[in-house]
Amino acid sequence: MTTPTNGPSRRRVLGFGGVAATGVVAGATGVVAFGADRTTVQPPARAVSPYGTHQAGIALGAPASAELVAFKLTTDRAGLGRLMRLWTNDIVALADGRPAPGDTAPELAVANKGLTVTVGFGPRVFDLTGQRPAGLDDLPAMRHDRLEAGWSGGDLLVMVGADDAVSVVHAVRRLVADAKPFATPVWRQTGFWDSTGPNGEPVTGRNLFGQVDGTGNPAFGTPEFDRTVWSADGPDWFRDGTTLVVRRIRMNLDTWDELTRSEQERAVGRKLSTGAPLTGTAEHDDLDLEARDADGRPVIAQNAHARLSHHSENDGRRIFRKGLNYVHDTGATRESGLIFLSHQADIAGQFLPLLTRLDAVDALNEWTTTIGSAVFALPPGFRPGEWLGQKLLS
Amino acid sequence: MFVPFLLAGCGSNATQEVAAGAPGVLVEDAWVRATTGAKDTTMTAAFMALTNPGDTDVKLTSATSPVAGVVQLHEMATQDGKMVMREKTGGVTVPAGSHAHLSPGGDHIMLMSLKHPLNPGDEVPLTLKFSDNTTHDLKVPVKAFTEEEEHYHPTPR
Repeated sequence: MTTPTNGPSRRRVLGFGGVAATGVVAGATGVVAFGADRTTVQPPARAVSPYGTHQAGIALGAPASAELVAFKLTTDRAGLGRLMRLWTNDIVALADGRPAPGDTAPELAVANKGLTVTVGFGPRVFDLTGQRPAGLDDLPAMRHDRLEAGWSGGDLLVMVGADDAVSVVHAVRRLVADAKPFATPVWRQTGFWDSTGPNGEPVTGRNLFGQVDGTGNPAFGTPEFDRTVWSADGPDWFRDGTTLVVRRIRMNLDTWDELTRSEQERAVGRKLSTGAPLTGTAEHDDLDLEARDADGRPVIAQNAHARLSHHSENDGRRIFRKGLNYVHDTGATRESGLIFLSHQADIAGQFLPLLTRLDAVDALNEWTTTIGSAVFALPPGFRPGEWLGQKLLS
Repeated sequence: MFVPFLLAGCGSNATQEVAAGAPGVLVEDAWVRATTGAKDTTMTAAFMALTNPGDTDVKLTSATSPVAGVVQLHEMATQDGKMVMREKTGGVTVPAGSHAHLSPGGDHIMLMSLKHPLNPGDEVPLTLKFSDNTTHDLKVPVKAFTEEEEHYHPTPR
């Protein structure tokens, strides 16, 4: 059989927008020099192969534009398998910029938009199939949570990310249409993230408080990343899968804007300008959690978010998190926030202890309120001829 | 077998993807319309993209499926100012270095006298025969389709 479209000559292990080092991004990033000191990075042609050991959208930075849809299943185990076969066909076509089979708006399928589709199973699926991954349970409500049913739970998740919102909504429309005989949407969330600096260079990106958000992640392609994210034990079907926690966090920009800059920085423990820890000068400098100021107080406060979420303070537990900013308009009223996405091999073992600790004392709790919460097991990726979740559902 | 993710939507690089020898026609993105909820559940149609990476035209000459008593190649044509569906007796030409798209409203493979209803997510075996004496054995997914049925699938008069 013929090999996939991107031959070695066109493949580069060079990413863009924080997607480096995974080797799944094919395309050309052209760096064009103007004179001695002015450099422009040309927007690359971006096609992300849908195939691989892991689902293709996971070990990448947050997409510029994304939509998540959670569904309630209206079918049985066999029906879920049929849906996964249909979705796999759709994903393969859409990732290549081709219309999904039966597409009613085929011109909206455009190649090189960095489109990825990620699929997950909610806890109730495993009542149908058995083989539940350890620790995959709905999170208990935290003290500061104000969870709304309309943003919580779900049996099935699809997340579409791309460089452009038109590609996202088109793909979602197809996937929701093909799911109709099997599953009904229960919530939909749309978000956006800018991981590109002023000269096209990849950056971590900022949430709507203005904070550099996501600095503490394990680096792609490292053993630390793999240990944090991919399931290595548990049910056989789940090997090379991961879990995803989706938390919809409302942010009170009005009261946040009343703070002085130093109060804002103290709440997080990082500088707003660079994201550097208050004890350092560059974004990725290690936190000095022992450092004290002239009055003997910790430079990074005891309740600062960066301290509380740092792996050294959490028995080495880590997560891989991404953010999507959101705005939700109702007439003249706007709500702003963050769709918080956390990947980890084991929710109960890695994420829940961290969440519990942050809920207890995190300084940011004063300006943030979680209004939605859902957990999903993301099956491993698939190869040509295979389909999503095949080992669980066939 | 399908060769998904093979072509970036047009045939410009098709020839270089295939090794020397008789390459045969490539089949992509095949699907069959579900009969669930249809007015006439005894017939439906199959659609797909056919790509001919070779340098001579190839024709799709016939198709068979164990789920259908009769399988025909159909075309939509204007006859006396009206769109009609009719059998395409000469087969469907897949031009050299190019594509033929079997799609709703265009050429398609008509499955008639269905032996059972086809539900979304089912897989239908379908064998295609081409003028270069190649055959393709496919397992084609069944999908629901929102477009109005009569558009490509007229009620027989």
